[in-house]
Amino acid sequence: MSVLPKIRLKNVRKTFGAPRSGTETLAVDDVSLDVLTGEFLCIVGPSGCGKSTLLNIIAGLEMPTSGVVEMDSHPITGPGAERGVVFQDYALFPWNTVEENIGFGLRHRAGPRPPPDERRRKVAEYIELVALSGAEHKFPHQLSGGMRQRCALARSLANEPDVLLMDEPLAALDAQTRLILQEELLRIWGQERRAPERKTVVFVTHGIDEAVFLGDRVAVMSSHPGRMKEVIVVDLPRPRLETMRASPEFQALTAQIWNHIRDEAYRATVAPLER
Amino acid sequence: MLEWYRYHKKMGSASVRRRAVGGILGAATYARAMLFFLLLWHLVSVWIANPVLLPGPLRVMESLFQMVASGELVEHALVSLRRLAVSFVAAGAIGIPLGVAMGMNRPFDDIVDPLVEVLRPISGIAWIPLALFILGVGDALPIFIMFYGALFPFVLNSYAAVRAVPPRYADAARTMGVPRRRIIANVMLPAALPGILVGARLAAGAGWMSMVAAELIGAPSGLGFAVEWYRELLMTSKMLAVVVSIGILGYTIDRVLRAVQHRMAPWSPAVRSEQ
Amino acid sequence: MSRAPALRALIAPLLLVLLWQVWASNLPARRHVPTPTKVFAAAYELIATGELPLALGQSLLRVIAGFAVAAVIALALGLLMGYFRAVGRNVDPVVESFRPIAPIAFLPLAILWFGTGTPAAVFIVAYAAFFPIIVNTIHGVRSVDASLARAALTMGVRRATILRTVILPGALPQIFTGARLGMGVAWTSIIAAELAVGAKAGSGGSGGIGQMMFVFYAYSVELNSIVVCMISVGLIALAIDRGLLWLQRRSMPWIEDKR
Repeated sequence: MSVLPKIRLKNVRKTFGAPRSGTETLAVDDVSLDVLTGEFLCIVGPSGCGKSTLLNIIAGLEMPTSGVVEMDSHPITGPGAERGVVFQDYALFPWNTVEENIGFGLRHRAGPRPPPDERRRKVAEYIELVALSGAEHKFPHQLSGGMRQRCALARSLANEPDVLLMDEPLAALDAQTRLILQEELLRIWGQERRAPERKTVVFVTHGIDEAVFLGDRVAVMSSHPGRMKEVIVVDLPRPRLETMRASPEFQALTAQIWNHIRDEAYRATVAPLER
Repeated sequence: MLEWYRYHKKMGSASVRRRAVGGILGAATYARAMLFFLLLWHLVSVWIANPVLLPGPLRVMESLFQMVASGELVEHALVSLRRLAVSFVAAGAIGIPLGVAMGMNRPFDDIVDPLVEVLRPISGIAWIPLALFILGVGDALPIFIMFYGALFPFVLNSYAAVRAVPPRYADAARTMGVPRRRIIANVMLPAALPGILVGARLAAGAGWMSMVAAELIGAPSGLGFAVEWYRELLMTSKMLAVVVSIGILGYTIDRVLRAVQHRMAPWSPAVRSEQ
Repeated sequence: MSRAPALRALIAPLLLVLLWQVWASNLPARRHVPTPTKVFAAAYELIATGELPLALGQSLLRVIAGFAVAAVIALALGLLMGYFRAVGRNVDPVVESFRPIAPIAFLPLAILWFGTGTPAAVFIVAYAAFFPIIVNTIHGVRSVDASLARAALTMGVRRATILRTVILPGALPQIFTGARLGMGVAWTSIIAAELAVGAKAGSGGSGGIGQMMFVFYAYSVELNSIVVCMISVGLIALAIDRGLLWLQRRSMPWIEDKR
């Protein structure tokens, strides 16, 4: 297993300034985090802890105010095909069909691109992988939430990034679809394969259960400003099974994480005006 | 764009049936309401008993058919429609790129917007005297006034359409490594298309409205001219017949453009809900 | 950094005025060509003699009168049509059939009925303002969240009261938008109507800025004065719109301004 982290964040700080009022918000303060190759890393935290900001920084959609963010020891200066993103609201192009959406990166990205027939083959492959066969020619507005999510996932995967960044991708789904998609996600990711053969995934979520079920490690953040509190290792065996959710180890982990977060979440929900 | 052809074929059967039934019911309600109105009109005209002041609906209908049969109505209508076509195309050719450029480029917007905002309140109508002086009575005057009227909906709606494109879409494309030029062509423009088409429909409506004023005052032909012509001859029923045809044509143009909107951008919720 | 947009805003208009001045003063022939300086002079004179304010005042009065008439009818009808589906279904076809017909198409009819005076102008203005107001009122009423009315019902409020206390305030923003649009169209229509009247009746008419403009074109050929009129038409339109926008924001503080 490779010793060098796939993604490294060192002392990352991010402030947002509101240009009109001149006030500055410190969203993320002195966060250091290593993402190992082939791991599934989850980031959880209360609202406003900056986890989405962190993900955007890794994606290259935002620049840190200070600190280092690197991939394969090269600084990240902008978005790119090697770091694919699955957005919370899917961001599927409504004027393209499922097929066209999934093939978008392969069709339009900078640099060398596969020829049309290879592209079509790959697209078909990924459609099958995410179990959307039959929906190739549908438009996003004709799909259910779960189907849109799988389409968004396939779109990012088809572009074959090294790292997959996911920003609360299951948040917009109802609870039942969520549970099913969590298992699907692990299958698609290839949880049964060995680490070097898997994609590196950084998964941001609100759901503690979700994070423990999916992740190899869970990074817990605190908010106002966002800081890394602790990184907890989830040493539950793979493949993760539905039954594990009830196991004492699972419960212990979720309890541990919730303890970290609870006070802050309480304050954020019940007493925000008092601050 | 094979996909939207297939989309329409698939949406075809069930929705055509539904729409046919809905269409028949709608037509029945429409007919009933119009009949009631025509009855009212008839009663009022009988009460006034002055065919110069207010001819009854039957006489107007008679004049209408007679003018269509003799070809004079068609001749005037074609003149007006031709002018609309010319001004519409010119306004679109200038207005859409202008609006899009303003929407995408902040500095350009800062420079051009004041000009737009200064000219917009000066309606096309207010330009008539000056334009009359420069262009004289003839074909060019109504075309200019209609162009002016159609220009602003094109510019403003294209601008709004581009600005309303969720930044997410561009972000998604960037995380797939798509270069900027391709993002503009394959993400921004398709995303803005529905709004631009709405602008086109509004522009046609505005142009048609300007047509009447322009032709009434400064043209030797066309429907607007015909209205005034028949008034001077005190042939009120013919005058009203022309007014009715102005309304019918204006409505038809709007419907046609709605259909075009629907064909070209079937995915857009705004377009879909208007049908 | 935030100065840049403000500075850029001035570029185009200033450049335009400059270019206009240079181009016009270098034209050999036409003495008639309006230049910024001549326009300024004409503006000063028109304002000083009171001609311009008088004409604008006349037009504005007609606009307000026509708008008031339209507003009363359109609001009442719109509320009913929006709230009671049956009314809407039956009246809507007639409204929609008339909507594509430009107001000025009825001017000849109005002249036939009322002569070339103020009543004809007011009629046209009222017709023009009617449609934006009614369309927006209906839309406003219909887009009031259904669950709001239901919530009131579950508190035992009667339907008539709901119309007054829930539907009307809920629809107010959209109604206001309709009023703003209506005033805009009203202003445009009065100009058109007065122009047309000027074209037919000559200078012996009922006044108003539209007629003044036409007189400057056809009779005294004062192009600079025409430009002055155009600019003042635009300024008034702007003032009306901004004024109503301000009023809208002030009277409805609960609306989140998404402009």
